[in-house]
This record gives sequence, C-alpha cells and structure tokens, in this order.
Amino acid sequence: MSRKSSIYTAMALVSLVIFMGLKLKLDQIPRQKVPGSSIIYLPSGKYLKYATFGYSSMLADLIYIWAIQYYCNYNIPDRFQYLEHIFSIISVLDPHYLDPYELGSMIAIYEAHDAQLAFRLLEMGFEKNPQEWIFPYIAGHYAQMFLKDYQLARKYYKQALTIKGSPPILKRLYAHATYRLGDYQTAWQNWLQIYQESQDERIKKIALNHLYLVKSAMDKEKVETALRRFREKFGYFPQQLEDLVHQGFLKEIPKDLDGRDYVYHKEEGTISAPRSPWKR
Amino acid sequence: MKILTVALNTFREAIRDRILYLLLFFAAIGIAFSRFLALLTVGDRVKIIKDVGLASISLFGMLMAILIGTGLVYKEIDKKTIFTLMAKPIHRYQFLLGKYLGLVFTLAVMIGLMSFIFLALIFAHTLTIEWKLLIAILFIFIELCVITAVAILFSCFSTPILSSLYSLAFYLIGHLSWGMETLIAKTKPGWGKTLLKIIYTFLPDLENFNFKTEVVHNLPIPGNIYWHSFLYGFFYSLFLLALAMLIFHRKDFV
Repeated sequence: MSRKSSIYTAMALVSLVIFMGLKLKLDQIPRQKVPGSSIIYLPSGKYLKYATFGYSSMLADLIYIWAIQYYCNYNIPDRFQYLEHIFSIISVLDPHYLDPYELGSMIAIYEAHDAQLAFRLLEMGFEKNPQEWIFPYIAGHYAQMFLKDYQLARKYYKQALTIKGSPPILKRLYAHATYRLGDYQTAWQNWLQIYQESQDERIKKIALNHLYLVKSAMDKEKVETALRRFREKFGYFPQQLEDLVHQGFLKEIPKDLDGRDYVYHKEEGTISAPRSPWKR
Repeated sequence: MKILTVALNTFREAIRDRILYLLLFFAAIGIAFSRFLALLTVGDRVKIIKDVGLASISLFGMLMAILIGTGLVYKEIDKKTIFTLMAKPIHRYQFLLGKYLGLVFTLAVMIGLMSFIFLALIFAHTLTIEWKLLIAILFIFIELCVITAVAILFSCFSTPILSSLYSLAFYLIGHLSWGMETLIAKTKPGWGKTLLKIIYTFLPDLENFNFKTEVVHNLPIPGNIYWHSFLYGFFYSLFLLALAMLIFHRKDFV
C-alpha cells in the first residue's frame, strides 16, 4: 500500500470513529418529542412516519388541508367515521400543530354532534401540548354550551386556569359554570374575587351584574323555601312577604343587591328580581 | 490554491448546468405554491408556508447535490479530460476536494437564493424576518454537504445514473435509520444486538440535521446539539471524501 493510500485509509478510519462517537453522543441529547409519536399506522398498516423521510410536518399540513376539503363536502354521508383517525394521524406527524385539534373538535361537535369525540381530540391536543390552555378552554365551552354539563365544564375551566398565560375570561367562565351548577356560595366567592381583583371597569361591571344574579338566586331559594313551608302549615301562600317574618319562617326579607324589594308572585308562591341583572 | 482553482472552475461549470436552473425554478415554484396551499387551510397559514418552504429548500437542494454531484468526476473520466488534468502538477486529492468545494459553494448560492425567496414570502405575511428559520436552513445546507460527499464518492467509480440511485438510497437510509432504535430495543442482548448497534451508529442519521419542526413551532433546541450535529456532518463528509480519495487514488489514468 502506498503512503498516500495509507493516509487516506487512516483519515477514513479516524473520521469513522469520530462520527460514530458523535452519533452516540447525539442520541443522548434529548430533543423534544412526544411519547408514542414515533409509531403510527395507516389503515394499510404501513409505517407512515417512515414514509415521510423527515417531511412529517409537511405531510401533516397536506393531510390537514385535505381533511378540511373532505369535511366540507356534505355529499359524503359517513364522512365522520374516520374523523378521529385522520386527526390522530395529523397529531402524530406534527404533535405541536394546534389548529387540527381545534378544527377536528369543531367538526366533531358542530357537524358530527359527537361531544365525546370532540373531547377526545381536545384531550389529545392537550396531552401533547400541556402548555396550551386553549384545549381545556374549548372543551369547557363545549361541555357548557352543548351538554349543559356544568360540572364537566368547571373541571375543564379549572384545568385551563392552572396554565400560565390563560386569559382572565376563564375565571369568569368558571364562576358562571359554578353558578349554573347551583353552587351559589362558591359562585358568589368567585365573582366577588373577580370584582375585587379586576382593575378594568368593564370587568367590574360584569362581575357586579353576576353578583346581582347570584344573590338573587340565593335569596329566591331561601324565600321560596320559606313560602313553601308557610303553605304547608297554613294551606295558602302569605298575602305579603313580611308575613314570613311575623310567623318566624325568616328573620328578615332579603333585598336585591341594589337594596330594592323582590317582586312577590302570590299565586305561584315565587319571587323574582325587580330588574334584569343586565339592565341595571 | 490549486483546490480553490478547481473549486472555482467546478462552480463555473455547475452554474452553467441547465438542470440547476430547472431545479431552482421548481424550488421557487414549490415555495411560492405554499402561499396558495396556505389559502386552503383553516388557522395558521404561515405555518403551512414555513413547512412547505423548508421542505422545498431541502428536497430541491438534495436533488441539486445528487444530480450535479454524481456527474462531476464521471464526466471528467468519460470525456477523457481527466488525462489532461492529471498530466498537470495537481494531486488527485486536490482535484477531488476542489470538485467537492465547488459544488458545496454552488449549493450555498442556490440555498441562499431559495432562502431569500422563502424569507421574503414569510416577511410578506408576518412583516418580520424570522431569523430562527435560518437555523433550519443552515442544517439543511450541512445535510447537503454530506449528500454532496456521497455523490462525489459514487461518482468516482460508477455511472451518473447508478450514482444518483445510490446517493438517493443513502438519503433515504439517512432519514429512516432512526427506526433501528425500535429494532435494537426489541432485540435480546448478545452479538446480534451489538452488531445492530454498530450498524446503527455507522449508518447515516440525517435526522440530526432536521430542525424544521422545532424551528416552525418555536420549540427549544438544546444548545449543545448544534455543535455535535455540525461535527457529525463534518466528520461523516470527511469519511466519505477519504474513501473517495482512496478509490480515486487507485484509479489508473495512465
């Protein structure tokens, strides 16, 4: 072997050892990955990510764009059958692409009328992007608006509230869900806290209106219970609310947040706020 | 100096190649197409433009490196111009390194042009120059340097068509080799596992130069990975070039 050949061989061997060492070192440096994202299967059973040759992000874009066009076609009757599968593939190819989770859940709830599917897609997004408050926020909104499940809505809003950078509206949504759940005492505390902590006059006004609403609900519950007990004893509703105090059913007749008397409906044995909380 | 002269001549030769402009044209179309593709999406359009733009730069850069690189040395041998060259006071390694650096320089210019179009398109949407994208582009360029070394290596002993196929296979292996981790994890300890590990560390891992996802999503990138990836690319290229020199040295041009 000539001298030059020996030099080239030595150079190749040294480089080989160095790059193999670097390869081992590089494998030890953690890069942000999502657990379970490395293996996905298409319906054909092929290893999809292998087929992307490093262009997984672009393939996710293309599948997403295709999915949008596909779900815009109302002539396909069973188009929702593969909704979860399609959006799962996008999420595996590009787990940090947020739009597909949001749009997928939107299609699930508005088009497929499948709230559980929408929750699954949003939870998938949240699992892969735990720093994004938007997913529990949207899930809470769907639970409140479509299922009227205020307990579930509260759970999601609470989850979103724990994430840094979540918007202040979440506190208000949480407080309102608590009110709709019938937990008036907690709702009162929540709204009072919002009122006290906010520097924004508009927010203060909103909080005050809600405090009016919560107090009205609490008073209504208390007075109407007393009215029912009065009728159980005397067989009729009292002529006026003051009779409840005279007969010992209440210590005093509550007034609304503005100090006004509630309107008494004698025939039904109910009371109502003298004005709408939103038109005070 | 002689290396530089060969490199400059290779650059002049490469920029006269029509295929380069054809690929540049398609790359520009690909980047511009991302704008129209983005119109079809719901949500973040810029993300689509970034993904498709970076993919176009990478894909067409790879095609440039392979299609031009595989013909560089072969053409000299085929047209017998190598005999004239070898008669001059120039070492064979100087000739090879010159060819390599000339193509690397050509690719740098092409990547620069594609990046300009890409960043201008992003700027038109966001009104900011996103410098972080240059990290992904820089590592695409390093990947292309490795591909160029492969193309030169195959060009020393094979025809351009076969060299292109081999280089393309190298590129595909480079982006698939990470899958061997699963195989290694599932193999029982022993000789088989050790052999797999050796093959795994020897095979190119071009994913070490893939920062596209991190950059597009603004994800944190560990600081020490830059140098390691750069050195990995450098030594892999050096290894391939040393092999090329060894093969080229043994060729009989007399």
